Amino acid sequence: MSKIDIQAMIAPYSVKEIRNLCDASYVVRFNKNTLAFRAGQHLVVGVLGSSEAREYSVYSGRDEEFLEILVREVEDGIVSRKLRRLKEGNTLEVNGPYGFFLTNAQPPENKKLLFIASGTGIAPFHSFVKTYPNADYTIIHGIRTLDEAYERECYKENRYVACTSRENTGDFHGRLTTYLKNMDIDKETMVYLCGNSDMVFESIDILQEKGLSNSHIFTEVYF
Amino acid sequence: MFYHLITLGCQMNVSDSERMHSILQRMGYVNTDNEEEANLLGILACSVRQKAIDKVYSRIHKWNKWKNKRNLITFVSGCVLPADKEKFLKQFDLVFPMSEANQLPDMIREYGVTSGISLKTGSSRIPSNDNIFSLWNVNPTYHSSFEAFVPIQNGCDKFCTFCAVPYTRGREVSRPSSDILEEISKLVRGGYKSITLLGQNVNSYGKDKTGEEISFAQLLEQIGELGIVSGREFLVYYTSPHPRDMKTEVVDVMAKYKVLAKMVHLPLQSGDDKVLVKMNRGYNIEKYREIISYIQLKMPEATLFTDIIVGFTGETEEQFQNTVKAIDEFKFNMAYIAKYSARPGAASYRWDDDVKIADKKDRFERLTQQLSQISEAYNNSLIGKSFRVLVLGKDRKPGHLYGLTEGKIIVRFASANESLIGTFTDVKIVSASDFSVEGKTEMVLDELRVS
Repeated sequence: MSKIDIQAMIAPYSVKEIRNLCDASYVVRFNKNTLAFRAGQHLVVGVLGSSEAREYSVYSGRDEEFLEILVREVEDGIVSRKLRRLKEGNTLEVNGPYGFFLTNAQPPENKKLLFIASGTGIAPFHSFVKTYPNADYTIIHGIRTLDEAYERECYKENRYVACTSRENTGDFHGRLTTYLKNMDIDKETMVYLCGNSDMVFESIDILQEKGLSNSHIFTEVYF
Repeated sequence: MFYHLITLGCQMNVSDSERMHSILQRMGYVNTDNEEEANLLGILACSVRQKAIDKVYSRIHKWNKWKNKRNLITFVSGCVLPADKEKFLKQFDLVFPMSEANQLPDMIREYGVTSGISLKTGSSRIPSNDNIFSLWNVNPTYHSSFEAFVPIQNGCDKFCTFCAVPYTRGREVSRPSSDILEEISKLVRGGYKSITLLGQNVNSYGKDKTGEEISFAQLLEQIGELGIVSGREFLVYYTSPHPRDMKTEVVDVMAKYKVLAKMVHLPLQSGDDKVLVKMNRGYNIEKYREIISYIQLKMPEATLFTDIIVGFTGETEEQFQNTVKAIDEFKFNMAYIAKYSARPGAASYRWDDDVKIADKKDRFERLTQQLSQISEAYNNSLIGKSFRVLVLGKDRKPGHLYGLTEGKIIVRFASANESLIGTFTDVKIVSASDFSVEGKTEMVLDELRVS
């Protein structure tokens, strides 16, 4: 029988690092303790002692020694602004993990995967790729400017497409749905969408027009 | 010493209150309907609607005024959102999750020597269900001698964007099947006729203990076998299942056993795929249709109930029309229709509640009207047929009793024989209206035939 690490079970979720990725977005890294999760699941995170918390998909890989969440600072946002001001050693309240998104994508399933994300909706896919770097995936990421292509270097070459809508600096200049319309997609591909509802809805319509079955389309709406 | 307990909300709270009554009575308290004579005043709160939470605030305001005149202890439990919990801590003497209810005697004892701040609040935003087993082990004081609720599961992991239950009830936890079967056996031996298995997601039963606990279909099967062995007449219902976890095995077992009532309450929430995505329901209309088709194939006599939300964030008239089409297609016998209201704590609370109140009201009324027509057509088709009816009580109509068919269709019939209450009796349907039917007992019909 494996030894239970009591210290780890009762340890606080201490902030290890706040990593700024661009003006609006940042990563919070904190202790993992004994928390186990599947890529695609989310946590409910708040500052310890505060009555407010929010759901954030895990950004880090399953086997990494820490947990990370990707946060976009929202104007007038209560939690996103508080989290950014945290310092190393501050304590978080963390509940979870929750959710089933990407459950059907995990090995031993070995299907072709298409991940479609807008903005911070990339987080569950980042976690997945960190966990399963050899999976057969393609990511289409809808962002406004290239600085929102959060840590794209972790994806394999030709597997990540940044669609920038406000400047011609990405792999494709325009909305991700425009890119999707012109894309050839194998009907057996499993498609996972994460981000704002307008993008998700429009993408579903495009995928259905391309003949993909509803049973191959999975969604997680952020707002 | 007297206690007065107010229970708000769903059947789960009613079931919890049955155990709470037992805990309080075990401490020597006597139940009273008169709150003014009680020394211990408690509320099992509901957070699904703001109206229910407003009732809690109004009641504690009144109770706290009484505190100037006499000694009393107040408590609140049940479904409480974190934001409300913070406020309740300042107003109630004790605030605790239902899973801690079994420790109420200790809390009250300690309350006498400590401050007026809650002793059991828990620090976690999402309530822990670790102690729910001790609550389930309390013998309940059932509210009826022939109908009973049996909790089989508590909490929710689904995180539908409109719902705050994961924040009030915690994670999904399954009650041991041996305990469930034991409670049902006792009820059957005690002559109970209607037993409802309760949980936020009953058909997720066992998933939190994969490999260690049986599945929901297997649990139903064991209950079905228990029904055969008992030789008694009773019916078992369950609520609520989630379409996402609905398996064909569940339907197969329901079709196989007589005691498993041929009635399914399967919350649809919306008939529009995009609204379902936004609600994070995890199924689409195609998947829902597959389940309903399978139910109708295996149990053509089954009645169908559902829950619908109209005016969810961003719902367009076109999307609402897809719900209208779904109601028309699935021909629900009953739909509990709610106008969307944002609940603090739920994800959608932070989204624009952008459907006008007038539009929500209009959609609610149109759907209710449509449901009424569908239900009336179904009820008319029952005329001339006989049904076993569980008699529930005296009807508002003088000289009449009322009850439910196996499919939970309300039946009224002329009878002054109150000894029928709590028994099954055969009733022939003679007329129908939108949400009920009227009938004559076979006994009365026999008498008419003789004369």
